[in-house]
Amino acid sequence: MTKKTSSPNLSRRDFSKIVMAFLGSIMGAIVGIPIIGYIISPALKTQTVDEWVSLGALDGYPIGTPKLFSFTRTKVNGWERTTNSFGVFVLRKSGGELKVLSNVCTHLSCRVKWSDEDSAYLCPCHDAQFAIDGEVIYGPPPHPMYEYEFKVEEGNILIHLTEG
Amino acid sequence: MNEEFKKKYHEKYLAAKQKGVKFWPDIIYKDLIVSFGLFLLLVGLAAFLGVAQEPKADPNDANYIPRPEWYFLFLFEFLKFIPGAIEWVGTAVIPGIGVLILLLLPFIDKNPYRNWKKRKIGVAVMSLIVIGIIGLTVRAVITTPEQEEVALAGSIAEQVIQGQDLYSFWCAECHQPEGEGGEIIGVEGIEDGTLVKSISSIDEMWTRTDETFYNIIDLGQQDLGMPPYGLGYGGELQRSEIEDIVTFMRYTWDERAEIPEDAIIGIPSLAEGEVPSYEVHISIVAKRYCVSCHRPGKENNEYLMQTYEEILTTGDNADKNVIAGDLESYIIVTLHRESIFDASGEEIIGPMPPSKDLKAEYIDMFERWVLAGMPETADEATALSEPIMEDAGDAAPASEPETGTEATPP
Amino acid sequence: MSGNTAEKIFAWLEERLGLEAIYATVLDRKVPKVNWWFTLGSASLFLAVMQGLTGVFLTMYYVPSPDKAYDSIQYIMNGVAFGWLIRGIHHWGASLMVIVVFIHMLRTFFYGAYKYPREITWLTGVFLLLFTLGMGFTGYLLPWNQRAFWATTVGTEIVGTVPFIGDFLLKALRGGTDISAVTLARFFSAHIWILPAGVVLMISVHMYLIIRLGISNIPSDEE
Repeated sequence: MTKKTSSPNLSRRDFSKIVMAFLGSIMGAIVGIPIIGYIISPALKTQTVDEWVSLGALDGYPIGTPKLFSFTRTKVNGWERTTNSFGVFVLRKSGGELKVLSNVCTHLSCRVKWSDEDSAYLCPCHDAQFAIDGEVIYGPPPHPMYEYEFKVEEGNILIHLTEG
Repeated sequence: MNEEFKKKYHEKYLAAKQKGVKFWPDIIYKDLIVSFGLFLLLVGLAAFLGVAQEPKADPNDANYIPRPEWYFLFLFEFLKFIPGAIEWVGTAVIPGIGVLILLLLPFIDKNPYRNWKKRKIGVAVMSLIVIGIIGLTVRAVITTPEQEEVALAGSIAEQVIQGQDLYSFWCAECHQPEGEGGEIIGVEGIEDGTLVKSISSIDEMWTRTDETFYNIIDLGQQDLGMPPYGLGYGGELQRSEIEDIVTFMRYTWDERAEIPEDAIIGIPSLAEGEVPSYEVHISIVAKRYCVSCHRPGKENNEYLMQTYEEILTTGDNADKNVIAGDLESYIIVTLHRESIFDASGEEIIGPMPPSKDLKAEYIDMFERWVLAGMPETADEATALSEPIMEDAGDAAPASEPETGTEATPP
Repeated sequence: MSGNTAEKIFAWLEERLGLEAIYATVLDRKVPKVNWWFTLGSASLFLAVMQGLTGVFLTMYYVPSPDKAYDSIQYIMNGVAFGWLIRGIHHWGASLMVIVVFIHMLRTFFYGAYKYPREITWLTGVFLLLFTLGMGFTGYLLPWNQRAFWATTVGTEIVGTVPFIGDFLLKALRGGTDISAVTLARFFSAHIWILPAGVVLMISVHMYLIIRLGISNIPSDEE
């Protein structure tokens, strides 16, 4: 083939190439874009949560040591209703002050446990430690433990659960 | 790499090829040997080490210590050294750069030499990385705290047996050994005389699904006085343990479910003159009818019955509970539904089990055991047994299983 | 007589399939004399084939759903004849494969075998290493046991720390905000279709290049 790029009379071969590229891109786009959408779709449709969850009577919690309260909430993931468990540490201080901390480590979301011995929350993943009121004492977590907004109504503690 | 180098390379390679061997059979022969070795290793690992059993996934079990597969451990461990505020450097940037360098290595490394002596820096860097990866992996393995052990059941028979033990331990106190329910006496936190309905009846079995049973155990029925047992709700049972209990209930009490034969662990009945042993007889009776209360953390005068040692030596009345050869031992007296009183006339031990008679057969078993001096093993017991006089051929085998675990319609 | 028939059949096939040419290019060729370290490539291939075979058979009983996955694997291990062997080989094969592929990569590096003219072979090799790790990661969740569940929770959470798009990547990987049936299904799909397709493609290129360029020689001091 001689060079005929700008020639008005395209060679048969060049014409075929152009048609092939054109048809190919159309097919690629029509199949490819929906497939990407198909794959990431569940990530775009997530449910938001905004509710008040009761943790029971305030008097049921000891003063001075954090106590774990667990509850579950179901959420729709795709077609499935997934039951998620949440754990919160309720800390009543002697002065009457109250704190409700999430038991999810702020590093990589492992669940922390309260240890009376170390008087700290310990994370089993990367050895992080949090002080009783949630401050990071040791390890890689970037933030103190997440604190829930709460209110006390008729002697019951309610926390504000928001997500999404 | 310039053209001259390329030419030189091709010449060298050609020369090496001339001096070389045939791909088939020489190279393939070696490959085959190595692959066969690996194959043997694989089959060996599968046969002798097998695959470790793990409990079923339980999103509620916050006690589980998460660890990735071993070949990702080095990355996981590496994150311990990255401050959380720049977490993404450790999780995305460094591994990303690492992979990119690896991919583009032939284009980055312009050094035309191949022999390691002429590219010492590259070799040294790679060696350090490999040593680092191995070091981090080893460190991660060492620093991993031990996972809490859970007894796992594989087959249905194993699940039923496991479930039976768990049921006897956690549930029998209120629901009674056969799930028959009745009046509750002497259970902490529940008023004496509270009635518990049967959980092994046809009504119950035919109208409740496994999932219902699971949820009741997991969440409890607080208004009826049953506390939650699931780990996620303040109890102590793992998901797989609750499932075992449900399997046990279903296969033992539901007449529609046929229990696998190897799941029936009966309590062997005694022949004339035979002495029971702890190992074969007493331990099973105790496990099924006693330990639900006679374990740590319960109101039981500190009398524990989980092991041979405990039965003989624990409790506030340890010196009087079990006395060799003495039918006045507290354990026997209370089994006959009599109370024990202290000097001031106050009842210190009530009839046992509190709410219901133990089968006469088992009381007899305890009596013979105490009279014979509490043998621990089957051999000891045989030595103490009266020799069987009659023609042994006709005598029923002494250890014919008693069908204690089979369905007993209420 | 029978020898004659066999020859005839062979000649008939040869005329249509060109077997002699394949034999000459693939098997009957000279290669440099090398040591035992050079067997690791074929060992990786062997392990990959084993993984493929055992994997195919595992899907015969395995059910990728949170309700059923665990029990179906219990059944494979305890109920199906030789299920323990198939799963055992698949389980250990995964670990062994990571080791063998990694050492194969190190061998290639230390002998400088990634240099001209084998740059593309190296490139496909790195992809194969990454795919092997990807197979490990996706396969890990499938038994739906505690170890699997929590490892995947943390593993996907690590992806979530990527700046700006981390949260999106996390949700795209999990198919939602949490590890759910959707996650299990897409990990299963990736494990048995998407990644193996990539592996097969890369192995084909890798092998074509090895046959075309020949295996590398052990570099002498002046090379």
